[in-house]
Amino acid sequence: MSPGQLLLFAVGGLATAAYLFIVTAGLSLVFGALRIINMAHGSLYMIAAFVTVVVANRLGASFGFWTGLLLAVMLTGVIGAVIEILVLRRIYKEEHLVQLLGTYALSLVAAGAVRLFFGASYRTVRPPDIVSGSLNIGGFRYSGYAVFMIASAVLIAIGVYLLLYRTALGRNIRAAVSDPELLNVSGVNVSRLYTTVFVIGAGLAALGGAIVAPSQAVGASMDTDVLVLAFAISVIGGLGSIVGTAVGALIVGEVISFGLNNQYTNQFAIAFVFIIMAAVLTVRPWGLFGRPEQEL
Amino acid sequence: MSSPDAGRPQTSRLPAWLRRARRGRLRLAVTVLLVLFALLIPPLSGFYEQLNPDVSSKFYIFLGTSALVLALWSVSYNLMLGYTGMVSYAHAAYFGVGAYTVAFLFKRFQLPALEGLVLAPVVAAAVGLVTGLVALRAVRLYFSLLTLAISQLLFSIAFSWCTIGCDNGIHGIQLPDQLSDYTTLYYFVGAVVGIAMLIMFAVVRSPFGAALAAIRENRRRASAIGLNVKAYELTVFTLASLFAGLAGGLFAVFQQEAYPELLYWTNNAQPIVVALLGGTGAFLGPALGAFIYTVLDNAISKQFPYQFDVILGAIVLGVVLLVPGGVWDAPALLGALRARIRGGEDEEQQAESTGEAIRRIDVAKAVKAGAIESDAVPRGETLLRLDGLSKAFGGLQAVQSVSLQVKQGDRHAIIGPNGAGKSTLFDLITGRLKPDSGRVVFDGRDITGKPAHTIARSGIGRAFQITSIFPRLTVRQNLQYAMLANRGDTRRLLGWADRIHREDALELLDAVGLGAYADLPAGQLSHGDQRAIEIAISLALGSKLVLLDEPTAGMSPYETEKAMELVRRLATERGLTLLFCEHDMQVVFGTARTVTVMHLGRILTEGTPDQVRSDPEVQKVYLGVELEEAGA
Repeated sequence: MSPGQLLLFAVGGLATAAYLFIVTAGLSLVFGALRIINMAHGSLYMIAAFVTVVVANRLGASFGFWTGLLLAVMLTGVIGAVIEILVLRRIYKEEHLVQLLGTYALSLVAAGAVRLFFGASYRTVRPPDIVSGSLNIGGFRYSGYAVFMIASAVLIAIGVYLLLYRTALGRNIRAAVSDPELLNVSGVNVSRLYTTVFVIGAGLAALGGAIVAPSQAVGASMDTDVLVLAFAISVIGGLGSIVGTAVGALIVGEVISFGLNNQYTNQFAIAFVFIIMAAVLTVRPWGLFGRPEQEL
Repeated sequence: MSSPDAGRPQTSRLPAWLRRARRGRLRLAVTVLLVLFALLIPPLSGFYEQLNPDVSSKFYIFLGTSALVLALWSVSYNLMLGYTGMVSYAHAAYFGVGAYTVAFLFKRFQLPALEGLVLAPVVAAAVGLVTGLVALRAVRLYFSLLTLAISQLLFSIAFSWCTIGCDNGIHGIQLPDQLSDYTTLYYFVGAVVGIAMLIMFAVVRSPFGAALAAIRENRRRASAIGLNVKAYELTVFTLASLFAGLAGGLFAVFQQEAYPELLYWTNNAQPIVVALLGGTGAFLGPALGAFIYTVLDNAISKQFPYQFDVILGAIVLGVVLLVPGGVWDAPALLGALRARIRGGEDEEQQAESTGEAIRRIDVAKAVKAGAIESDAVPRGETLLRLDGLSKAFGGLQAVQSVSLQVKQGDRHAIIGPNGAGKSTLFDLITGRLKPDSGRVVFDGRDITGKPAHTIARSGIGRAFQITSIFPRLTVRQNLQYAMLANRGDTRRLLGWADRIHREDALELLDAVGLGAYADLPAGQLSHGDQRAIEIAISLALGSKLVLLDEPTAGMSPYETEKAMELVRRLATERGLTLLFCEHDMQVVFGTARTVTVMHLGRILTEGTPDQVRSDPEVQKVYLGVELEEAGA
């Protein structure tokens, strides 16, 4: 492999890591604050991708994509709020088993609804003009959209950091992560905080779905496809840790990119991800950057 | 007690045995109907075909066969979900492994399908055991996520490995001639499923099954009664894989194929949905669910392929939120609803717990109870020795080089203000925490850093500060299962758990005043009565050393006196050694013969109650005025 090829694959891996980071950051944030694994997180991502594609293709040109993205994030945020208020609130106090099954049921409903509204066929959308070109470096063509995805992920990462460490809301979220009981008695409106966090998590899922839409075919199985990868990332990096999410996304993105671009390993690219996941969990069950849970 | 009826719980109009019989008869009726229905599917299908020549009886018999396989798969899933409280996303993978075993051996080695069927559960169990070892490195959520990783791993292997057909899978498995007829095939599958179900039923009723129930209800308590939680989880995981493999093998036999999508993690939706739908609390719940699911699937999905998922998801959501017991529990739910509409009291509510169990404690009876340790112990020898025990949490030194000796037959109190490190010290002794340095020697053996269940089995019982019982097991089962676990019976896969040590448990229950609530779920009792269960469990273990962490927290002075009289007399007459911590000074000085004072993780002083009471440093640092009042 030449250095130029290496760089090309590395950038491809970064682009994969980018959208995976955006999606997984939402999953991880929700888990950190609400202690709930949202099995329907991939569904929110899928809904956003479909909305973006449909709106972008209807309105056309660059304008369509950005409008689609905005609409997708808003719609998904509203769906997130409804889910949190109608369903999740009833199961926070339940055992994790009920939470897994409850959000799993939500994902079944969402998957059915998506197929009902959008059909089972794959859809595609062109990237918006501004970022649709390609860069030629050292004889290799880099997709402009891949660069855009990477830049978006960096911006979103900075945004999430500022939100968590520079705002009052972020302070409350961090408090919820470290000691929910104390937060309860400190006068913060916890149920509104939870709704807000869940809406932010849904919004991140939606951003990931909207941004990924021009780079791959949008179809009815993308919810579970992304969910298993998001689980792998959050487990490798540590559930509830944003830094861990970034590191996990980088590992997974690069493994997939290099695995797929090698004729001997392309069949097993995804399997590698799960081998790494199992290896990390076996040595550090709480992930690279996570905190151990009290076991018994 | 002077009047036997004083404080007795009120019972509703029907006598308990009659109510139980009604419920039992209902369950029996559903079971018989289900089995009858399963037996009659082929003749019913034939009859239907005669009425309506457009339909093929073969189709319905085939549907019935798939329902049977789904039933077996879901019941085996419920060994984990309903009986042990584990959510696995790898069960489809073991089903797939079973199917692939039959298919691959047939294609590659021309092994007849039925011989492959014998090997399918073995291979699936082997894969389940190895992957289970990895998955059970983690608990709860992380366990579920690990099973997901394993499932995807096995799926990618099946999908990419061309020796077993890559993404196409293996097709064209031939049935032996005797089974080529649909009806014969149906009854053959039915017989295999039936035998497998009987075996699983025996397992869940066995002492081993009791251990699973204990783990589902409360992992911490399960470990404190001496259960090696991980070992039981691994066993049930492997056992479930075995039956999933059998179900998968049957699938390959009657569908004549195996393909990679069988292993994909979303395929776990089937056993999960089916189990929830039918009811995870009853053994045959998932089997009932399998038939309902097959009917629903066939009725709805053909006409509305897209709506089916929405409907299915909505059903699962509804079941999770509203009817956790599934269809199996529908009659009970209807009964409760009817009672509510009529304004009458809920029939299920048979006795009201008033938190007064402790007032009914019968000390004389307890002292004679067979369940409690009765070795004639030599007094005065050291039973428990702590050597320079230390534990820090981050920067906080919770316990700092604590050395302590507890003599056999002693009643030893540890006192100290909040944050003195008492509960941490108990956690270090019972193995819930591992010390940073120092040694714990119990009964002449070094138990430092040993797992909690080993320490419990070696003879240390514990009552937690925050009541920790098995809420959905009956009060009797709480004690009975503790005895099973501690006496090493729970490794047995055969036998009927509810019949073992039953008398011992009832005797002890009577002695601690809980006799009237024996058949109520422990979680329904009031706080005070649950406290009595907690103490009774720690006694039921037949432990040489009983650790009580603030045993009388939240009790009235009268109840406190009663409870302490019980433990005092047990200690004196039955040779129990007590180590307890307590804030109530009257309890401490009324019960203890040795008192250790802790402050900020260190031992301040130790001596007889009188010595400690008059120690000026203790008075200054900790006890102050309160002590003088108590000592007055």
